[in-house]
Amino acid sequence: MHLKVNDESHEVHVDAERTLLSVLRHELELTGTKYGCGEGNCGACTVLIDGEATRSCITPVTSASGRDITTIEGLADGDKLHPVQEAFVEHTAFQCAYCTSGFIMSSAALLDRNPKPDEEQIKSALSGHICRCGAYVRILKAVKSAAGEGDAG
Amino acid sequence: MSGQDFQSEVALKVVGPPRWTPEPDPRVPPGDPATLLTINGDGAVSAFSGKVEYGQGIRNGFAMEIADELDIAVDSVRVVLGDTALVPQDRGTTGSASTRTVGIQLRRAAATARQTIIDLAATRLEVDSGALSTREGSVVFGGGSKSVRYADLLSGHTLTVAVPDEVTLKNVGDFRVMGKPSSRIDAVSRVTGSAKYAQDVVIPGMLYGKILRPPSYGATLRQIDTARAERIGGVVSIVQDGDFVGVVAEREDVAEYAIEAIRARWEESRDTASDWNLPALLKERAGESVALREEGSLQSGFASADRVLESTYYVPYISNAQMEPSASVARWDGDDLTVWCANRGPFAERDSLAEMFGIDPKRVRVIAAEIGGSFGTKSPSVSHEAARLAKAVDAPVRVSYDRAEEFGWSTVRPAATFEIKSGVDVDGKIVSWDYAAFHAGENAFRGQRGADTPYDVDNVRISVAASESPLQAGSYRSLGGATNHFARELHMDEIAISMGIDPLEFRLRNLSHERLRGCLTAAAEAFGWESREKRPGVGYGMAIGYDAGSFTAQIVEVAVENQEARVTRVTVGFDCGLVVNPDGARNQIEGSIVMGMGTALWEAVEFDGGRILNDGFARYRVPRITDTPEIEVVFTGGDDVPSSGAGEPGIVPIAAAIANAVRDATGTAIEELPIVPRL
Repeated sequence: MHLKVNDESHEVHVDAERTLLSVLRHELELTGTKYGCGEGNCGACTVLIDGEATRSCITPVTSASGRDITTIEGLADGDKLHPVQEAFVEHTAFQCAYCTSGFIMSSAALLDRNPKPDEEQIKSALSGHICRCGAYVRILKAVKSAAGEGDAG
Repeated sequence: MSGQDFQSEVALKVVGPPRWTPEPDPRVPPGDPATLLTINGDGAVSAFSGKVEYGQGIRNGFAMEIADELDIAVDSVRVVLGDTALVPQDRGTTGSASTRTVGIQLRRAAATARQTIIDLAATRLEVDSGALSTREGSVVFGGGSKSVRYADLLSGHTLTVAVPDEVTLKNVGDFRVMGKPSSRIDAVSRVTGSAKYAQDVVIPGMLYGKILRPPSYGATLRQIDTARAERIGGVVSIVQDGDFVGVVAEREDVAEYAIEAIRARWEESRDTASDWNLPALLKERAGESVALREEGSLQSGFASADRVLESTYYVPYISNAQMEPSASVARWDGDDLTVWCANRGPFAERDSLAEMFGIDPKRVRVIAAEIGGSFGTKSPSVSHEAARLAKAVDAPVRVSYDRAEEFGWSTVRPAATFEIKSGVDVDGKIVSWDYAAFHAGENAFRGQRGADTPYDVDNVRISVAASESPLQAGSYRSLGGATNHFARELHMDEIAISMGIDPLEFRLRNLSHERLRGCLTAAAEAFGWESREKRPGVGYGMAIGYDAGSFTAQIVEVAVENQEARVTRVTVGFDCGLVVNPDGARNQIEGSIVMGMGTALWEAVEFDGGRILNDGFARYRVPRITDTPEIEVVFTGGDDVPSSGAGEPGIVPIAAAIANAVRDATGTAIEELPIVPRL
């Protein structure tokens, strides 16, 4: 099976029923994408498939084959962090940070399709994610700031 | 890099006990002297602590303290945490004690190193050490015009210095790093996915283990058929030892598949405990009560009271539900065991593994990986399971829990029942206070944390009992503290309302504790308590709290509509003495409030006869970004007051403040959590 991940092509020989998350983490050793619940309820496993934020834990690997997959490892441009990553660092928008990859991927997808989201749109885009440390205040600030709103709100 | 590699280049080693308190605390032994800080011949600085990082930012806090005392850059400090082969022995990362006792000792070690370097410079330059100062990793002399780098002074030396009893620390006014907001030194690894959590650890030759779980607590294995599982390609071994059954496979998905293929018949326990009858059971099944404080005469207090109130309160089991399910990798090299895990107490983990396998603790090395949240739990058994499987198959094995295992087989916050009887005189002064708590399960704090009342009262009895726990009770943010505060602060509003006194006025009338008064008045002012606007469906509530040496007050606004309650605004007064990292402390307080909001509004572990019924996020509601209130934090502590905990105190008053606000909105008293299912 052919997988295109972070602009690199991979031939993987895996059972068709495996999840994209399992293949990313175990076959491609891209462990930045996290397992949180395996049911699509927490968002920790979020990756981009053709630019869409997607729960990789409930995505069969076959359905991602041949499409553009981006994981947290592929978001930065070399050493230059993506604006959302920059903003998460600047606002310390995490504590344990286990959920952070997922939040960043969904935020990046949101800003890609809507560069100037309002607060409700940001909350709605991230409502499927859980940060159990409760860093939501920071996450909201970080996404606003990545959208060029400075420290507004 | 192994321990020996960097020890060999060490030019200056600072040793001492790993903890320090201004007044010796008999309950907290200081620990054996150990290496706290090293500076290599090339100037590289490393600090060592048995604490672990699980999101509270201690790596950063320690680095800031050391950088400030040593006059070096924050990101040049390497902080080594939680590797039992490298760091001083520690009891674990609990009780928000890291900054209070370990951080201060690392500061003292750094100040000792700085003084040693200055003395070296004085000798070499043949000047009085008083004429020298330090700046950015160099000793400065000649009126500030000349400097010599630490590395140049230390090169060629192999010094060992003990931290003396008396150490002069920097004055607050001279801090360059502490007290100022800073990004975490580990931030980039956390936004690029490169930080390695226990779930991410892979070592050469590693196999994957999965454990066969009983249907409920206390079930006994009666019959098992593993024939189908054994035939699955990629299965290395099915390990059985009594009721312990595990699969080891070449891949995790194969191990999961094989576990499903095992047929097992269990005999379940007949315990009738469930979340329905637990409030009463906790009292019925309680052990002997321990009186924490008994003063005056309750009887004469009640006799002199204008009115006497009695209430019973209940908090259910709560799941920690941290985002990273428990995981552990175990490797045996002969009789030596190495375990990578996400446990908060690496030394306790080491000792329990040594005991389990009957080997010397020195043969066990526990290395804490990055920890994806803890709040007090990670399964206590995951490392045991990995080590048992690894021994059986003679290869490294990782065991990673899935979410249902984490909900079902990790630990939960103890449920508790409380009975409070209070007497109050005509002036609204509390004259008698009888407090009895029944906490599920034995734990280190035995439910005593936060049980005592900080309010003024002459006739008082505080008693706490541990009760038999049908579920595996474990730790949680401010274990005992959060639940004891809930009961007390709810009852404070109960009295205030019955007397027709404003809750703020009533608290202040009965509170002479200055730091708590400071928090409460600051929060009330920032919130605008006096000018709050009474509107239909909107309520306001408050609560105060103390924990881990710190004090806090919280005022909350809620909106109640259609059987839903939303927390819209929280104002916090917070006194943790000197704030080392304001941004880090604020982050912890905000997190505590969001987490506590879940315990107040929605969370409860539902169970019946040892079976957990809601073992997934679809059936266990936790706070999400759409629930986040506006949070304002006012720090009221003095810079000259030693730092105290910031990771846990924020959670102690919040559930009561929310419940009091919901009562204000609806007019109905709340006696049990969670609130929303009862609206």
